[in-house]
Order: sequence, then C-alpha cells, then structure tokens
Amino acid sequence: MSKKNIYFEDVELGDDIGPVTRTVKSDQVFEFVSLREPDPNPSRFTSEEAAKKEGLPNAIVPGAMNIALMSQILTDWSPTVCLKKIDVVFRGMVPHEKSLVFSGIVTDKDESGDSTDLECDIVMENQEGVRLVIGHAEFALPSRP
Amino acid sequence: MTTDEGIKYDRSLLGVEHPIGTFDVTKKMIVGFARSTGETDTKFIGTPDGTGEVVAPSTICNIFVNGVTRPDINLEFGDLSFFAGQSIECKSEIKPGDTLSATTRLEEVYAKTGRSGKMVFAVWQTTFSNQNDEIVALVNESFVRRNRSK
Repeated sequence: MSKKNIYFEDVELGDDIGPVTRTVKSDQVFEFVSLREPDPNPSRFTSEEAAKKEGLPNAIVPGAMNIALMSQILTDWSPTVCLKKIDVVFRGMVPHEKSLVFSGIVTDKDESGDSTDLECDIVMENQEGVRLVIGHAEFALPSRP
Repeated sequence: MTTDEGIKYDRSLLGVEHPIGTFDVTKKMIVGFARSTGETDTKFIGTPDGTGEVVAPSTICNIFVNGVTRPDINLEFGDLSFFAGQSIECKSEIKPGDTLSATTRLEEVYAKTGRSGKMVFAVWQTTFSNQNDEIVALVNESFVRRNRSK
C-alpha cells in the first residue's frame, strides 16, 4: 500500500483504496482487551473455549477493535489523511488468525467548505468474500501545495 | 421506516446524560492501543528507542467506552443481544497527558424487521471532552436485541 502523500486533487470519485490483507493475531486481541482489563478473564474474545461455550466457532475480534482496524484502511493509505468520522456496521463475527481483506472506494468529494473533504465506503471481508464489517468514512486531504 | 411505538423500555432515560468517568491518557496507553491494532506509523507508536511524541489514533476512545456500564433501559423484547454498529466522530486530537471526561446518553430506541424477524436497536451517544472542555470525540454505539432463532 502506498505511503506517499496523497492530495485532494489526486483522488477521483470511484478510486479504490486498498485492498489490504491483514490477519489479527490472538496476542493482539489479548493486548487490546488488556488495555482496559489488565488481567482479563477468559471471554469470547480471548478464549476459544469461552467462545465455544457461547456457541461461536472460535474466538472473535471485539467490535471496538474492528473499527480501529477499519480506520487504518484510510490512515495507512496516506499520512496526509485526516479522519473525521467513521461509521461501521458489524455484519459477521471476525475471527482471529484468518486473512481479512480491507478495501474502500471514494464516493464523494467536497471542496465547498473550509476543508477539502472526501467520503468513502469501506469493507472488511473474509477470504471467501463474505462482508464481515461494512461502513462509511469522512476524511480530509490537503490541497496540493 | 423505524419507530419505537409499542416497544416497552424506560423512556425516562432518553436524552439524559450520565457521567461515565474521567480517563487519563498516557503515552503507554496510546502506544499499547496502536500496537494492538497493528498501527505501524511512528506518530502513533513512537520511535523504536521509545522517544518522540505520539498522538492517539482516532478510535482510541474505544478503550474507554468498551465495558462501560450503562443504565438498564429495561427493554422488554428479545433474548439475544449484539453490538450492531458504531460511529466515531473525531473532533480534536487526543494526546498523552490529556484527561478526558465522558458522558453517555440514550439517543434513540427503534424497531426494524429484517430477514431474521423483528429487531430492536438501542443507540447510545458518548461525548468525550478534554481538560479544556473541548469535545474531542463523539461515539455512537448501536446495540440490537432480537429473539433467538427457534
């Protein structure tokens, strides 16, 4: 994925963002959960056994972590991105240790206000193309100097 | 079309602000959040020698809303709950040394009927302000309740 500076003028409606393939490791989830609960009890997020007791096939990634991962489709796209709003819907359970594909598409550009703003649809899919998290984001890019 | 007509819950909670706490933001917390979510940008994770300024990723307020105990709305529907969705509006930068205060309020309750039957959504909005009374983030969370499939 590009890490170069992207400017408002560089982007057109319909431009793709990504795709990026990532895997969330179990120890990442444990570290995330531990931020609030230093010695977390086994839960559907941290324990296969606890997840199975709740009828889930495996441990899952917390929704609160998924939105952070979704935001990175933009913030990793370019250091010039200023994220203003992200809105996601959780449609499926996100598993640990499986490939996840993140992508976006630019849906709006607006330079009528104080800043040069854009909007995009974003999605996280599993390897089978099932949409696990979908959403929409608003962000700003600077104008080319 | 959505409506809360016919849904039994404690309507007196609608729009009422409930303080949920104050939170000190530390560099360790920011770096921990950033690393656990796979951030690689040094503006979030710092430099390898541990020096350098960091700012918080836009979604860091999730550390604080995650696990918050909210008033029970006494919803009389369904026996299965899910975290349905979330939005985060980033209003201002969050940095180490900030002290955030948060209040939450029940924004709306509404019903929808989907392929799996009727669902009732409860939406809570949490406002985070810093030590200068500046709003830094608005977090909307949507929780759904439905009946277990027979």
